[in-house]
Amino acid sequence: MTLAGRAAYRDELTQIAEYDPRILCLEADLGGKGHPFAVNHPDRFFNVGIAEGAMVDMAAGLAEGGYRPFVSTFAPFAVLRAAESMKLALGYLGAGITVVAPYAGVSGGWFGTTHHCLEDFAVVRAIPGVTVAAPYGEAEMRAVVRRAAVTGEPHYIRTGRNAAPLSLPWVGPEPPVVNWDVHGAEPDRTCLVSVGEVGTELCLAVRRSLPALPHAHLCYLDQPHLERAAAELADHYDRFVVVEEHRQAGGIASALALLLPGREVSSVNAGESWPVHGGSHEEVLDELGLNEAAVWAALAPHEVPPHGAPAAPQDKEDTE
Amino acid sequence: MTTAVDRSARTASLITPLIAGRPGGGTATATPAAPPHASDPHTLVLRERALTARRAVIDMAATPTGCHLGGSLSVTDILIAALDRTADDPDSEVVLSKGHAAAGLYAALHATGILTADPVPHYGAASHHFTGHPGPSVEGVRFPTGSLGHGAPYALGWALSRRLSGRLGLGIAVLGDGELQEGLVWETFQVAAAQRVSNLVVVVDRNGGQNDGMVADISPQPQLAARFEAFGFEVAEVDGHDVGALRALLDPDRADADRPLAVVADTVKGKGLRPVEGKAASHYVTIDAARAAAWKRIVR
Repeated sequence: MTLAGRAAYRDELTQIAEYDPRILCLEADLGGKGHPFAVNHPDRFFNVGIAEGAMVDMAAGLAEGGYRPFVSTFAPFAVLRAAESMKLALGYLGAGITVVAPYAGVSGGWFGTTHHCLEDFAVVRAIPGVTVAAPYGEAEMRAVVRRAAVTGEPHYIRTGRNAAPLSLPWVGPEPPVVNWDVHGAEPDRTCLVSVGEVGTELCLAVRRSLPALPHAHLCYLDQPHLERAAAELADHYDRFVVVEEHRQAGGIASALALLLPGREVSSVNAGESWPVHGGSHEEVLDELGLNEAAVWAALAPHEVPPHGAPAAPQDKEDTE
Repeated sequence: MTTAVDRSARTASLITPLIAGRPGGGTATATPAAPPHASDPHTLVLRERALTARRAVIDMAATPTGCHLGGSLSVTDILIAALDRTADDPDSEVVLSKGHAAAGLYAALHATGILTADPVPHYGAASHHFTGHPGPSVEGVRFPTGSLGHGAPYALGWALSRRLSGRLGLGIAVLGDGELQEGLVWETFQVAAAQRVSNLVVVVDRNGGQNDGMVADISPQPQLAARFEAFGFEVAEVDGHDVGALRALLDPDRADADRPLAVVADTVKGKGLRPVEGKAASHYVTIDAARAAAWKRIVR
């Protein structure tokens, strides 16, 4: 059993704080009762109340004072409500703040549109100097949190709500720029590129049906990391399908398309509509058209789903 | 640098009267009577320093870009007193949250000796860091300000960092009264009071003006001192051009306080320059060299 991303973050940060007195934990009333950091390090835990902008700016003052503050609130409130604070504090000032943002994408399911965030990569990746990560599973989350704590550099870490997938294995102290998942893969096939929890889950599902397809998982998504990833991708394949729980505008696929001229880059994303209905995370994703069938549609005509895989959606006939 | 013991000893004598002056919580504010710094020789030095800074501000208004003249002159005495308080104290930090008064900040930093380069020849110029709103690449400036409201939480975080470190030191945020229309500052005040960050000092440069006119005409702020008190601050109202009174309020290390301090400093936009004093049009001014020379002769 593994921990969900936000639970893994809280546990890892609590452990790091045992030996690093510079670590602080700030929450804006969404940390929940019994937060392990609050229990173990109450003098370094601050629930500032519902004050996201002030929390990020305060963290800048704390960082300048020699501390390494980690602040957390839901992705829409961190990235959109406190966008200017992130620009100025993490970007312009370069303060060593880490923003951990659960509820990214539509992981809030029935919580509704105000609690979804399909725009965070577009905003945060546009702020130079911020390391952007979307870890998949507990091990990746722990590694990213450790990196943020050790380097003291500005980080944005996106995660979901309660999904607790098993991280892909890797060799080394931290997730590589490209984590290749290519057991059984064949050359000259279309390469799946996965981003975040949903993107990785969908790519893994497709590969279970067709192991011949190579899969490149990306954990770090800021521009310097993506430039290195693009160079590595281009060394191996010519066609890519990027899967991400984000809008197309400002997403990872569009960034990779610019970094991979002459290569074919397709995007499977959350589209441009508003997720206005309730339901589980998966049901909201289905409504947005972000599912396994959409990945197969993007892989066509080069790759054909085997019998039994979810069919690619057909264009609806005009019945009017 | 004043020792921690000295500042702690002065805290009670200077701040307590401000609290005691409002029995029952009725009147929110009081002004310290006969501040001990009023006739202090160092206060006279600071007044001279403020005059030097005002002349530099006028020179910056005579650069091709011009500058925010009125707000820079209104905040000059506050900055001179605050920077003098923190100049030799690495645990205290002044944040000019009303970053559009950058000319005033650069002039005050230079007059205080913190900023070694003369900002006047390079204000607003290409390839130089003296932009119209200050950033951390300028010597003596730690935080970027200009987008209003952010300086208060920066100072709050700084003050909290000193408390966590077990060190004495202030986070001093200097805000404009127009700036108080930003929601972020009240969000910050709420957090500061809730966390009882008593070494945070918020100084409001209440000059009554803002970009498009007068604060009273655009979005009035009645009972400002009472608002701060309702938020859980200690409050003092002061003549924002009385350097001695400002020194008296900023000098204590606040080690014995249990609430943040708000200093509502009444100032005059364009202070010291009679042709523009109190005029909303002084907000942003570009003048020629001849006028600058004339104004520098009459400025007080």
